[in-house]
This record gives sequence, C-alpha cells and structure tokens, in this order.
Amino acid sequence: MLPSDRADNERNGSLMDRLTENLVRRLAGQSSRRGVLARLGAAMAAVPAFPLLPVTRASAATATPAARTVKAPSPFAAHAQAKDDTACDYWRYCAIDGYLCTSCGGGIHSCPPGTAPSPTSWIGSCFNPQDGRSYLIAYRDCCGQDACDEVNCLNTDGDQPSYRPMANNDIIWCFGTGTSEMYNCSTAAIIGSTT
Amino acid sequence: MTVSYSGACRNLFGLFLCGLVASTALSPTVAVGAEPVLQTEQSDTITLPAAGPHTILVEDAVYNHNKDGRVYVVDADHGRRLGMVQAAYNANVAQSPDGQHFYVAETTWAHGNRGQRDDLLVQYDPHTLAVLSDEKLPARALVTPKKNDLAISADGGRAYVYVMSPTNGVEVIDTHNHTVEQTVEVPGCALAYPWGNSGFSSLCADGTLANVSIGTDGKASLTHSAPFFVPDRDGVLEHSPGTHDGHMWFITDSGMVYPVKLGATDEIGTPWSLQQGAGMPVASDARAPFDVAWRPGGWQLAALHASSGELYVLMHRGTFWTHKEDGTEVWVFDTNTHKRVRRIPLPAASPIVGVTQDDHPLMFTSDEAGDLHILDARSGKLQRTMKHLGTDLVFTVAPGE
Repeated sequence: MLPSDRADNERNGSLMDRLTENLVRRLAGQSSRRGVLARLGAAMAAVPAFPLLPVTRASAATATPAARTVKAPSPFAAHAQAKDDTACDYWRYCAIDGYLCTSCGGGIHSCPPGTAPSPTSWIGSCFNPQDGRSYLIAYRDCCGQDACDEVNCLNTDGDQPSYRPMANNDIIWCFGTGTSEMYNCSTAAIIGSTT
Repeated sequence: MTVSYSGACRNLFGLFLCGLVASTALSPTVAVGAEPVLQTEQSDTITLPAAGPHTILVEDAVYNHNKDGRVYVVDADHGRRLGMVQAAYNANVAQSPDGQHFYVAETTWAHGNRGQRDDLLVQYDPHTLAVLSDEKLPARALVTPKKNDLAISADGGRAYVYVMSPTNGVEVIDTHNHTVEQTVEVPGCALAYPWGNSGFSSLCADGTLANVSIGTDGKASLTHSAPFFVPDRDGVLEHSPGTHDGHMWFITDSGMVYPVKLGATDEIGTPWSLQQGAGMPVASDARAPFDVAWRPGGWQLAALHASSGELYVLMHRGTFWTHKEDGTEVWVFDTNTHKRVRRIPLPAASPIVGVTQDDHPLMFTSDEAGDLHILDARSGKLQRTMKHLGTDLVFTVAPGE
C-alpha cells in the first residue's frame, strides 16, 4: 500500500467497521437463532431453481474479449509501440534506464552470453498498446561485463528516487549474481498483469 | 675550357657535389637571431597553486565504459584542464569545505571486470593530485552516481558513504585517522545530507527524514521527522541543494520547494512553488501526468549560491514523469522572496547546473557532447565552452559549496 493511500483507507476502514457493527447488532437484536437457520435452509433449497447458464456464458465470453477502447495511463504509454523491442519506445521500456539487452546479444528477458541475470530487480508498470492492459515489468540487469554501449534508453514512467529502491531505475541490481556486479545491459521481463 | 654541368656530374664525386649544391639551392632558408643554444631539460610534474574560487572539479562518469570514470580539475577562468584523477565505476567526488582535500569514493575489481572487489575512499592532495589515503571501505552503493552518496561534515573531519548491500546504511569515516568509525543503519532511507560536524540526514521511502546524530561517545542516535512529502505523488529530488550547516531546499518532481533545517530536531518550512515564483500556475503532480508545464529536471538539477541565497534550477517544458529530462533554461530564485529573479536560456540542453560560491560567480552547464559551458552566473552570458571535456559530465564541485 502506498503511504498516500493509508490515511484514506484508515478513514474508510473505520467507517465500514462502524456500519458493519451497527448492521450486525440490529440483526442480532431482531432475529432468533432458529429463525436464521430456517431462512438459510430455505435459501439453500432454492439455489438449484435459479438458472446458472447466463453466468456461465458471461464467464466464457471473457476468453475472447471484444475490441475496447482504453486510455493510455501516461504520456510514454500514449506513444509507445509493440513491434520493435530494440527501440526505446517499445512499450515494456516505459521506465528502463540503460542499454537494451536486445541490442547486446541478449533478448527481452535474456542476458547476453558471458553475463548473468540479477535475481532481484525493481518493478515497473507498463501499458501494452496492443491489448490495452498494463503489466508488471521486472527490469533485471545482466551482470559481469562492462557497459554494452549499444542502444541506450532513459524512460522514467513511475521512476522514483533511490530512497524508494523498488521503483528506482538508477540502482545496479547485480546483487548475488556470482559475477563482479558490473552492469552490462537491461532486460524487461513480464511478471504479471495489473489489469 | 668550359665544363658543362652535366659533364661534371657524371662521375661519383661530382654527383655528390652536384647533389649538395642542388639541395642547398632548393632548401628554404630561415632567418635566425643570435639565440642561445637550448638547454637540456629534466622531466618533472606540475604542482598546482592554491585553488581559486573558479577552480572546480568535474566528474565524468563515462557511462559507456563505466569502470573508466574520472574527475577533472578545471580552471574555469581560462577554460583549461589542469589535471585528472581516476573515479572508477559510478564514483562520487566531494571536497572538504576548507578546500584542503578532495575525496573520491570508487569501486574497482582486481582483474577489470572480475576478481576481488575493492570499495575505496581516496583522499587527494589538491595541489599534487597525489593519493594521501587509499582507504578500503566495507561496501558502497553501486548506483548511477548521486551526489549525496558521499558527503563531508562541515569541519571536514568525517566522510559519509551511503551503502546498499542491499540493506540501507551510511558508513561514517574519520578522515584524520582514515578509519571507518561505524556503519549506521537507516532502514528504508537513502543518501546522506550532512549537517554540522556530527550529523547527517537521509531521505526515506515514507516521506520522512531519518536524522542521525553522532554523540561525543561515538554512538549514533536516529530520529524521524514527520512525513512532509508524498513520494508516489510528488517525490523530493535527490539532487536538491543545501549548505554544510544543514539548510536544504528540497525540490519535488512538480517543482515545489521544501525549505528544511536539518538536525536532530529538524525544522520543515512551508513549501513554495517554482512556477508560482515565476508567475505561473502550480504544475501538476503524478495524479495529472499529462499536464504540460515548465518543470525541474536533469541530473545535478539545482545549485545554491549560499551567500546570496540564490537557487539555480534547470527547467524544461514537459509532462509529469520527465524529471530526468535535460533543462533548456536555468531559473534563478531568491530563496527569501521565493520569486524568480533571472531566467537564463542555455546554449544547449543540459543535465547539470553548477555555480561557484564567490561574489562573481560562474555557472556551469553541459550537453550531450560532453562540452562544459561556462557562463557568468549573474548576466547569464556565455564566457567560454570547453569542447568535449568528457563523455558524461555528471557533477561539478566548486570550492566551498
């Protein structure tokens, strides 16, 4: 949870607590234990009578989503492309800082030979213009050789200072790679969907 | 009897004489004065005179072969490079407030890209550029250089080195004995902003400051300020400037300025807006990322001229999330009135701005080509450009800053 959300949630939480408490107290005051059991039993008996098909169809429909219009969440996303992963405006690179491994003998989630991927990384959230979804991207460094010095990118969507290391694109993440912790290039692996 | 030229040159001796005559006739002649014969010379090494207010240090990170970083000593009055020292692998440079020494924190490996790693704090003599101390550190943070990864106390007696290995801490080094006194853990916080002779503060992920006091017994105690900024909406920029006694002007991504007096009990002042100081609306934060406005940005994106209280900030027009974009102008603010007093268009978009601390200050900017532009800080007039001084000029350090 972000600190800015904490105060709002605490306020909402206490309101919800009060409402729930009032509702439960009112119910408890107006109903007997036997009455509750009788109503629960009746409801369970009635469940098979409700047709489930529409729900099933709705669920099946999500497998092939219809075309939809989604607003890009950031200026970078509004101009990002999904075809060329050797260019800085490729959608996964919304917060990358460094040399693209795709131009250094590696791939979008692969390190060039002679280097090793960092087990830890910082995480960005990037918008894919092709499917309109946002994805969590792990910007894992490839380590063990000096700078690759090919395509160099500096994108800063969601980039925060080093006092927020989980969102900072300046830190060399080569901890524990078994190499010299020298930075060679950056990858951008999908690790989940945010939408 | 007449002897023809061709006839005289037929035998070997004649050929030699004729060649001599011909070469003498064709050679250019040089009029020379009655100069004394040049004397033989002994090789020696220059010793630099005491640094003037315009003798600065410039760090070149050389990102494209990062282990070869360096620091240049530059005479900004004449645009001359006076010398250089190594500053390997995302190094940092800092100068003692009295100018007696400067320090480089750097990292090397025994065999270039492998072998034993050494994190070092190197103390230099500013006249000879000789290494006075080559102290091995327990660790240092490997990160694109942030100025406050290395800081010096007001009396020059302590150096602070930020470590992230990967827990967050600050190594406290006695610069007289060349020993690491201790490593102070600052969980969830980063960097070191010094105040006085025995304290520093770090910026924290929850929008607070961690204030560390080192007692006369050597023990460190830590307090936290109240949260004063919201990092995920409008974070404080790491390269915000301040003074050795702990007066800081923390600038945010959107252009708010928090005046803060660092200390065990810090004082956080009322924030003011760079844009409002220039007669413009306040710029948006992360909640409205598409809004275009003049915004602060770059790497060493601000500098303070302490005696006049003038704050120099690199500005560009852009949306939110452009906080590392090079500045096209420098805006100068009076930190007392919060008003913009000058607006300086730059010869080229720059990632850095620096300023000397004397009464006739010079201002420094750079560009993509690694040029160093030297301007009159008061008039904004370009004095000179040092073409391709380096590759990636990330910091300037002026005496007394």
